[in-house]
Amino acid sequence: MTHEQPVTILMIEDDEGHARLIEKNIRRAGISNKIHHFVDGTTALSFLFDHPEGPAKNGPGLVLLDLNLPDMSGTDILTKIKADAGLKRTPVVVLTTTDDKVEIQRCYDLGCNVYITKPVNYENFADAIRQLGLFLSVIQVPEIDGLG
Amino acid sequence: MILAFVVIGFLSLLVAGGGAAVIMGLSEDRNVWVSHTYEVESHIDGLRFHLERLASARRGYLLGDDAKFRAAYAASSAAIPAEIDALQRLTVDNPRQQRNIAILRPQVAQLTAALDASMAAAEAGGRARAAQAFATDDSAPQTRQVQQTASIMFAEEQRLLSLRVSAQAGYVRAFFVILAICGLLLAMVAAGSVWVILRYTRELARSRDGLRRLNDNLEQAVQERTTDLQRANDEIQRFAYIVSHDLRSPLVNVLGFTSELDAAARPITELLDRAEAEAPALVGDEVRRAVREDVPEAIGFIRGSTQKMDRLINAILKLSREGRRTVSPEPLNMNELVQGIADSLHHRVTEAGAEIVVEKPLPDVVTDRVALEQILSNLVENAVKYLKPGRPGRIVIRGRRELAKVIYEVTDNGRGIDPKDHERIFDLFRRSGVQDQPGEGIGLAHVRASAYRLGGIVTCESALDQGAAFQVSLPAAYFGEIMV
Repeated sequence: MTHEQPVTILMIEDDEGHARLIEKNIRRAGISNKIHHFVDGTTALSFLFDHPEGPAKNGPGLVLLDLNLPDMSGTDILTKIKADAGLKRTPVVVLTTTDDKVEIQRCYDLGCNVYITKPVNYENFADAIRQLGLFLSVIQVPEIDGLG
Repeated sequence: MILAFVVIGFLSLLVAGGGAAVIMGLSEDRNVWVSHTYEVESHIDGLRFHLERLASARRGYLLGDDAKFRAAYAASSAAIPAEIDALQRLTVDNPRQQRNIAILRPQVAQLTAALDASMAAAEAGGRARAAQAFATDDSAPQTRQVQQTASIMFAEEQRLLSLRVSAQAGYVRAFFVILAICGLLLAMVAAGSVWVILRYTRELARSRDGLRRLNDNLEQAVQERTTDLQRANDEIQRFAYIVSHDLRSPLVNVLGFTSELDAAARPITELLDRAEAEAPALVGDEVRRAVREDVPEAIGFIRGSTQKMDRLINAILKLSREGRRTVSPEPLNMNELVQGIADSLHHRVTEAGAEIVVEKPLPDVVTDRVALEQILSNLVENAVKYLKPGRPGRIVIRGRRELAKVIYEVTDNGRGIDPKDHERIFDLFRRSGVQDQPGEGIGLAHVRASAYRLGGIVTCESALDQGAAFQVSLPAAYFGEIMV
């Protein structure tokens, strides 16, 4: 392996179906990175900050974030990630049903790297995920270089 | 009643004052009579004095033959009749005194005659004669008589005096009594007036307080009601927003996994193709129908319905988002605004073989530009959409001002709306007539929601085949919701 540490994908998504669809499409796009799936914000945060395999202790990582979580708002998690010195460079992709302009604006203001609306139209959705896959393959390199 | 009381109070004060004045006048009259009595008494005294002097002057003259005594005698002698005349004149109203004077006059005349005679004798006969005359003087009893009469007269005057003085004292007492009554009345009227004023003031203050309380309560009630409405409205908006978002989540799954099913169906179809080609015995009719017809059909319906559901949810979302948008009123030039709408639809209108007529001038209005633009363009778009085929379309936009309202009207000669649907068409997802045009039944619901947001209403007048007229009535100047 030329890359010592491949990017770990953290998917924070309470809907199992969405999570499955996202994962399927990521795999279809040819991304084989490890995906950790969290269904609530609390476990996701503890993994992000404290887990030995988490990005804070054992980077690099990429976060796929849903905004509507049962225990907290996705924007809270986004804020915490971007406020932490060790995690703020971790890319965050917000992937949610909300297409409210204000909400999108707010996510970008908080430092989200990509905002993707989950479209109901499945083809668009799959496309978006595939493009995200391309995006992931691009960001992999500088992240690894940065660490190495 | 209170007024009557005050009037009576003041009237009795007036009467008492008048009474005091009358008493004062009477007392003054008594005063005059008292001084009259004193005058009479002084004349009686004068008479006595002159009689006394007459006697003493004569005595002096008889003893000393002095010219000084002679002169005094002459003076008193002249003064006595004058005094008596004065008495007669002053007591002309008193028959008793007149009678006394009638007695007095001869007595005085007798006395003076006797005295005169002795004086004359003394002058004529010299010292000795005079001394003799003095010695044999018989004037003493006459003098006593005169003095007695004078005393009687004096006593009579004293009697009158005491009568008059006591009468005057009575008047003074009456005066003071009336004065006291006056004072009492005055105090009562004053107390009554003060009481009345206090009562009125209290009543005024009470009613003023009542009014203020009512006013405060009213304001508070309005405020509470407004807050309630605001809260209910916010709640609905939030509800619509959350529901539409949360409904989308499962939809993503339904559609996503439908596509997965579709994708999974493909290798199965291929398998069926291969089986049919290589081992047709394996393929039953049921399997063939399931793979070739049932599954694609089911997937098609699921996908179509889900997509429709997504459009509906998006419509609700749009409405709720519109509801959450801040209304920012500004003065609008309606001629320009409506012409802009007409121009933007020009292409579609000419394609449909129709025309838009803007009847200028349109009354201007102060309201939210975006919302009003959406309302009017929705109405005009609908008019273009539902024209009667085979009839050249004519859409007229006009406006008028009615008091504090402006009314804009969009009329067309299109296919019209059945009157039983006039309310229904404003409901979300409800449409009327032949469903030959694309749409979800959102436009008019949106129009009505926006009109409400601008403090106005929208109504419809139409009959089938008779065209339709939509009226938007708005406040001429809208300054946003009443904020709490």
